[in-house]
Amino acid sequence: MRIGIDVGGTHTDAVILDGHKVIASTKFLTSANVRDGVLGALDVILKRSGVAHHAIEAVMIGTTQFTNAVIERRELAPTAIIRIALPSGEMIPPMTDWPEDIADAIGRHGYMVHGGLTYDGFPIGVLDDAEIDGVIEDIAAKGISLVAISGVFSPSNPEQELSVAKRLQEKIPGVGFTLSHQIGGMGLLERENAAILNTSLRPLAQNVVQAFEDALAARDIRCPFYISQNDGTLMSAEFAAQFPALTFASGPTNSLRGASLLTQLSDAVVVDIGGTTSDIGVLQGGFPRQSNVAIKVGGVRTNFRMPDIQAIGLGGGSRVSADGKTIGPQSVGYRLVTEGLVFGGDTLTTTDIAVAAGVADIGSPDKLATLSADVVETAMQRMHEIIDDGIDQMKSSRDPVPVILVGGGAVLVSRDLANASELHRPEHAGVANAIGAANAQVGRESERIVSYREQPREEVLAELKAQLGAELMEAGAKEASIRVADIEETAISYMADESTRLRVKMIGDLDFSGSQA
Amino acid sequence: MSVTITHEDIEELCMGSVFLATGGGGDPYISQLLVTEALKKHGPVTLFALKDLPDDSLVVAVGEVGAPSISLEHLPIGNECLEVVDRLQAWMGRPISHLVSFEVGGANSVIPLLAAAAKGIPLIDGDGMARALPEAQMMTFAIEGIKPSPAVAVDYSGGAVYFDVKDAVLYERQIRNLSMAMGGMVFTAEHPMTSEEARRAVIPGTISFALKLGRVLKRFSGNAAHIEAPLRELFEASDYGQFKRLYTGKVVDINRKTVGGFDVGEAVLESTIDDSPPLRLTIKNEFLLAEIDGRVVASVPDLITMVDHETSAPINAERVHYGQRVTVFGIGCPPHYRSEKALKVVEPRAFGFDIDYVPIEDL
Repeated sequence: MRIGIDVGGTHTDAVILDGHKVIASTKFLTSANVRDGVLGALDVILKRSGVAHHAIEAVMIGTTQFTNAVIERRELAPTAIIRIALPSGEMIPPMTDWPEDIADAIGRHGYMVHGGLTYDGFPIGVLDDAEIDGVIEDIAAKGISLVAISGVFSPSNPEQELSVAKRLQEKIPGVGFTLSHQIGGMGLLERENAAILNTSLRPLAQNVVQAFEDALAARDIRCPFYISQNDGTLMSAEFAAQFPALTFASGPTNSLRGASLLTQLSDAVVVDIGGTTSDIGVLQGGFPRQSNVAIKVGGVRTNFRMPDIQAIGLGGGSRVSADGKTIGPQSVGYRLVTEGLVFGGDTLTTTDIAVAAGVADIGSPDKLATLSADVVETAMQRMHEIIDDGIDQMKSSRDPVPVILVGGGAVLVSRDLANASELHRPEHAGVANAIGAANAQVGRESERIVSYREQPREEVLAELKAQLGAELMEAGAKEASIRVADIEETAISYMADESTRLRVKMIGDLDFSGSQA
Repeated sequence: MSVTITHEDIEELCMGSVFLATGGGGDPYISQLLVTEALKKHGPVTLFALKDLPDDSLVVAVGEVGAPSISLEHLPIGNECLEVVDRLQAWMGRPISHLVSFEVGGANSVIPLLAAAAKGIPLIDGDGMARALPEAQMMTFAIEGIKPSPAVAVDYSGGAVYFDVKDAVLYERQIRNLSMAMGGMVFTAEHPMTSEEARRAVIPGTISFALKLGRVLKRFSGNAAHIEAPLRELFEASDYGQFKRLYTGKVVDINRKTVGGFDVGEAVLESTIDDSPPLRLTIKNEFLLAEIDGRVVASVPDLITMVDHETSAPINAERVHYGQRVTVFGIGCPPHYRSEKALKVVEPRAFGFDIDYVPIEDL
């Protein structure tokens, strides 16, 4: 049995799962010190389920702590940056284009040294040990013990980042560092920014991971525990303490993953209908389809890949015009329970329409007596059109797809949708994030610029697969379960040698057997 | 009336230039950062009107050549643009009196501002393409018979290469291969022009136009149906002349095909507003052809731009994907590209398509 926990800003949700079956679930208030909220939620589900602590094989935790710390500019530790790129990038130093307040919070300790590689692996500058040592001495003199290291085209060849890190460790014992190639793909500034944020979050990450550990130990749960990352796969607690920034998108990701686990569907469109909007995301092979655009976290441009989610202005509180033809995007939101007609208010909402149509049983239907059947029918059609259209915009081919409806507003959809081959309404959708966290997969990805003229495609792929496979084994994946989740190739415009940006993602299943303490 | 560009205008200027890049030109983010900083440091740049060009001028085109997406990883030093200007002046043995952009579509709209701001050399309001196009011989400078060299290229490590070539076709081959060998992108100072040549070859007013366009895009950002009228008004009062909404629909297919020996992309759109047959867009770096039912509705050198239907943000050809709701606009090219000699190098046949060019207003 596994426990999934989602530590949000307001609620800490927890579930106990037996395979894919939900045994118990709860929503508990998040506490200031994390540990108490997790303990509280644990106690409720253990008691409700009667499951003994030693029957728990693994605990998976999703958390928005680190995203919130960046957004609120708190608990960010002073961090130095060494970029290996000179002479290139000289006039665009680290932290260019950062909001002032967060640059102040982390400090402005950017350094640049000679080095880096061109897209085809030719050196831009030559590493100079004396220059690097000078920078390290300066960092040491400032008393800074956290360093982010970035290098041009390090995702294609990380050697220079590794070599600077080695010198750093020799000169500053116990230094904490992030190498940019460990945390992102192409786009130097975005990857460097991600490495800086990650490094500055490490002291907080150690505390949070410790708090989780303490909470589990306090209830004598001695199994391995994992933290969920951006793409929906897991990382070990030890890894999470080093790479907290890899959790930035885990909230929406876990919600989509939860919908997948609840329905056992790996390819589907998930529609989360809330009070004001419906958030539509896409599951591909059990994982969220990711967005391609640069994502800002707390105003800082990063290249973390977030789930591609489209919000459309239709929810359970959306206003409906008197003729039923116009729906949303204005909504009464949380005031639905006082302003909606069925609750005795005077605003016609989509919830009122659903009740009038006899597909939802909420509030007092008798308050809808004056509503004409024509208006109800018009509005019902329009609501379904809006959702259907949103699904069509997100799905990736013409064919209808399975659709999973979650969220409080899911009652709005009662009819067939042209773009949905089937409609699913899973139980326990309210704790989908905690369920989504409790999966059992690890993932790794790599991105580089390749020229298939220089090296045949099959050879490049074989090399990447071997590298990622080894990393997955190290992360605890069963060898037989390791597989390619995604291969993405983008031809680079205006390049005469047909250079291609290649990104490969592989996943594997965690091996719980034998890992129990 | 002369237009002054401040650091606060750069974002809007880039928005306009991405629209004019017709799906090509890459993401101007890095150039935007550099130019914004340069104008903060050196102060605003007042664009120089082509008609005011004195008789004894030496005009030089500056910009970047190569694969723009590479520079998001391998950054420029930031001073290359000044370096090419210094080196060409020294080589030619005379001061450059005016700078001009060679391409308003994409980052090359703002790059000349780096040298203009730092060195105080006036920048002409105009360029050599009025859009984005992939090759040097397609610039109006080359079309008007101006030799590309003496020219200098500087790479992102500060290394320089000097060119003495007989024509733009040869220059294109050399500069393309050089950019590949030197990391993907190089800055160049090229196509030195006399006053008489510049007056003939430079398409006037395109930089200030891109800024105006960017302002409209920002001010009316939102549904493409609402931005159509202000855009039409802007384009139809300019040298571009024609502005048409070609199609509103969704992308239903993206595929690759081979045309005239080239590997090109094709996007198929289905209408979301009426029952018109699908629109087919042919892509090679930029959007080059738009066809409905086998009938061409717009073609290069006229401009074809795709915007997100909900936000009106221009969409880069590399980022077109299934399901996008888009509006496609067709825009006339300035008269510089309508002459017989110009069409020889920029008409659909120059890109390998076996069709005649018909101006968008006649389609």
